Amino acid sequence: MSDSERNWASHRDAKATKMAAVQPLLSGKYAKTNDAKQILEALISSGDKVVLEGDNQKQASFLSKILASVDPEKVHDLHMIMSSISRPEHLDIFEDGIASKMDFSFAGPQSTRVSQMIADGTLQVGDIHTYLELYARLFVDLIPNVVLVAADKADRDGNLYTGYNTEETPVIVESAAFKDGIVIVQVNEVVDKLPRVDIPADWIDVVIPADEPYQLEPLFTRDPQNITELQILMGMMAIRGIYEKHNVQSVNHGVGFNTAAIELLLPTYGEQLGLKGKIVPNWEVNPTPTLIPAIESGWIQSIHSFGGEVGMEKYIAARPDVFFVGKDGTMRSNRAFGQMAGQYALDMFVGSTLQIDQFGNSSTVTNGRLSGFGGAPNMGSNPTGRRHSTPAWQSLRPDNDPLGKGQKLVVQMVETFGSSKKPVFVDHLDAEEVRKEAKLANVPIMIYSEDTTHIVTEEGIAYLYKTDSMAERQAAIEAIAGVTPVGLRSNAKTLNDLRARGIVALPEDLGVRRTDAKRSLLAAQNMEDLVKWSKGLYNPPAKFRSWS
Amino acid sequence: MDSLWIFPGQGGQHADMLATVDPGLRAKVEDQLQLKLLDTDDAYQDSVQLQVGIELLQVDQVDRLLAAGFKPRLAAGHSLGVFAAAYALGSISAPDLFKTVKLRAQLMQGAYPSGYGMGVVVGLTRPEVEALVAQVTTKEKPVYASNQNAEDQVALSGQLEAIDAVVQLAKDNGASKAMRLRVPVPSHSPLMNDVATKLAASLADVTIDRPQGIYLANNTGHAVRQSGPLRDDLGHNLAHPVFFESMMAVATDYQPNVIINFSPGRPFRKVLAQKFGDIHQVYLDQMTIADATYLLKKWERGS
Repeated sequence: MSDSERNWASHRDAKATKMAAVQPLLSGKYAKTNDAKQILEALISSGDKVVLEGDNQKQASFLSKILASVDPEKVHDLHMIMSSISRPEHLDIFEDGIASKMDFSFAGPQSTRVSQMIADGTLQVGDIHTYLELYARLFVDLIPNVVLVAADKADRDGNLYTGYNTEETPVIVESAAFKDGIVIVQVNEVVDKLPRVDIPADWIDVVIPADEPYQLEPLFTRDPQNITELQILMGMMAIRGIYEKHNVQSVNHGVGFNTAAIELLLPTYGEQLGLKGKIVPNWEVNPTPTLIPAIESGWIQSIHSFGGEVGMEKYIAARPDVFFVGKDGTMRSNRAFGQMAGQYALDMFVGSTLQIDQFGNSSTVTNGRLSGFGGAPNMGSNPTGRRHSTPAWQSLRPDNDPLGKGQKLVVQMVETFGSSKKPVFVDHLDAEEVRKEAKLANVPIMIYSEDTTHIVTEEGIAYLYKTDSMAERQAAIEAIAGVTPVGLRSNAKTLNDLRARGIVALPEDLGVRRTDAKRSLLAAQNMEDLVKWSKGLYNPPAKFRSWS
Repeated sequence: MDSLWIFPGQGGQHADMLATVDPGLRAKVEDQLQLKLLDTDDAYQDSVQLQVGIELLQVDQVDRLLAAGFKPRLAAGHSLGVFAAAYALGSISAPDLFKTVKLRAQLMQGAYPSGYGMGVVVGLTRPEVEALVAQVTTKEKPVYASNQNAEDQVALSGQLEAIDAVVQLAKDNGASKAMRLRVPVPSHSPLMNDVATKLAASLADVTIDRPQGIYLANNTGHAVRQSGPLRDDLGHNLAHPVFFESMMAVATDYQPNVIINFSPGRPFRKVLAQKFGDIHQVYLDQMTIADATYLLKKWERGS
């Protein structure tokens, strides 16, 4: 074939042919709920790259159910791309042969089954990505043929409102809409006039009203009642020994009770220390209810979010100075921008993990559970091209190198023993064994040692960024690892030497009295207190209501 | 309501456990198998009385719950309990179930008249127990690591002296508990290959339908939606460890909101608490079906 004969729009033609075939089933862009299976069987070809919207929070649950019901004779061996494997049918499609390969980020809710299906060869893993790697590859070498996404509302033309839980929808839709991919969206509701347009109808091919609203879980809600005094002690140490010491202005908190404790200590302990107005005015974080007391008492100036949080809608709508809210009065979230902010704009990430090895690498992947990772690997890594003048970033700059750079603060907060009395500090991560079993290219480490600047335990804080050799780093970790096998290698002499050089700090070195770590120090003791702080605007989901 | 139905195997049996069973069902089974069920402690020394008795009790409880309008999302049997689990999911008919269970009991009874059995080690991981087993097992006196009931609880199956030797080693190596069990057969090990082959052959002409829910397989610990692997588990599980810990771990991925524990006994309390926390649970060994139904309906309204 000569150049003049080459068809440079073959993808566009293929899409047009497919769309023409389903024309009889469409009215404008709309298909009937009952025709969904027929639509998917006609628009998805075997071997296609398909993004099924499984976000950390929002799930395109109607479309995932329909995809799991298609005839494997007609549609098989799909290459699925999903940021989150959250629902059983996300894996059923592999058992039934509808799909064969998966590129993903997070699989926490299905981690045992993912692990089993990799072991028996039912599911072939492309890579386990950080969120930003996965989104980025949608525009490079994982360009999707079809995307299946979820929106709250659509108007008659097919414009979409995605509201509080916009999350990944824009980035997914954009990757297909401008590369002749097919964009299919499920909507909870069809309306004449949208509150606002989050995604224009031009980018959408098919709209299908769902039989029930998309699945949404309140993943970032932590009941203050379950915060322990040990977590309060660690929170106090972190506020003094990290937030205050490094003059931290912007932060992301991972999900967990350790960070919930810090949020509830700012208006009380933080106030006592005179830190109000001095630390953490700017946040990249989901609208977690435990932030309400800090917001109400004037600690927080801005919060941008990856997604929404069930029950926080009215509260957010009433606080547009703090949250990102459209003129319609509802929040807009965006996980891609949130992750980007975590990489390039934040002073600090604080999170938790299930295992930390003797070198300081951490992972939530354990034997039998291939959980992948949520936001932690992006939030908890240091982009080396960054250049910042914020005091916190500069405070980690080595003083013996004129060209030296600062570093993002990456803090791991863990109790030395986990839930089932298993040591968190281990010589080797289970992840090393999992890499072999699942034949992965990389050991599924969540946060690398080199990016981890601080570890906080109930024993004290290790300032890993101050160590200048791996041996010293290991000694610092051992010094705060309690009576775990790793911790038992430490001794009083080494500990005192590390303390003297500021590499390890115990509570007394920070002026924190263990006996002060009481639950009464929390700004809210329970969910009801959070509702009161919100002036009745926060409406907790039923499972968090113990009163009424 | 997404419920997980759990069916234990042998261990919790007791005299008069069949007192609540529908007399019509009991008569039908006795007639089909040409077997009078005695329901006494003495009779439960006999493998056929015991296995058929337990399955009759479980099938009766399943029938009553189905009649009350409940269905399992997930079903897990432990060893003998796999048959009632498959029945609860509509995969095997009651007559086929009882026919197969009777044969299973007969085959097991004849397999190892003496010198073989099972033990258990608590407080060591499976790789640790496997390392001890490897030091002891020989062709003449074989022993295997078998059922995994919790992360730190591994059963042993094999020749009695070999089991005793592993038990001693386990104690020397930090096990919190290690002992021989009063089980006269080296179940769930390769020593049962002959029995499993015969049982699987008899199942070949039994209709096994696709389960109407998730079946949790003993021999792999996997969640199963097709009839093939379910049939395989019914026929061959005696020759494989019961990976109960994995079955419960994968069950958590389906987020059930209630667990129904069938009779007899309540052997899985510890592992269920570890895996599921304070999820709603019903123990049919301790309450009538009417009481259980009342609770289930109450929780259904509440959630």
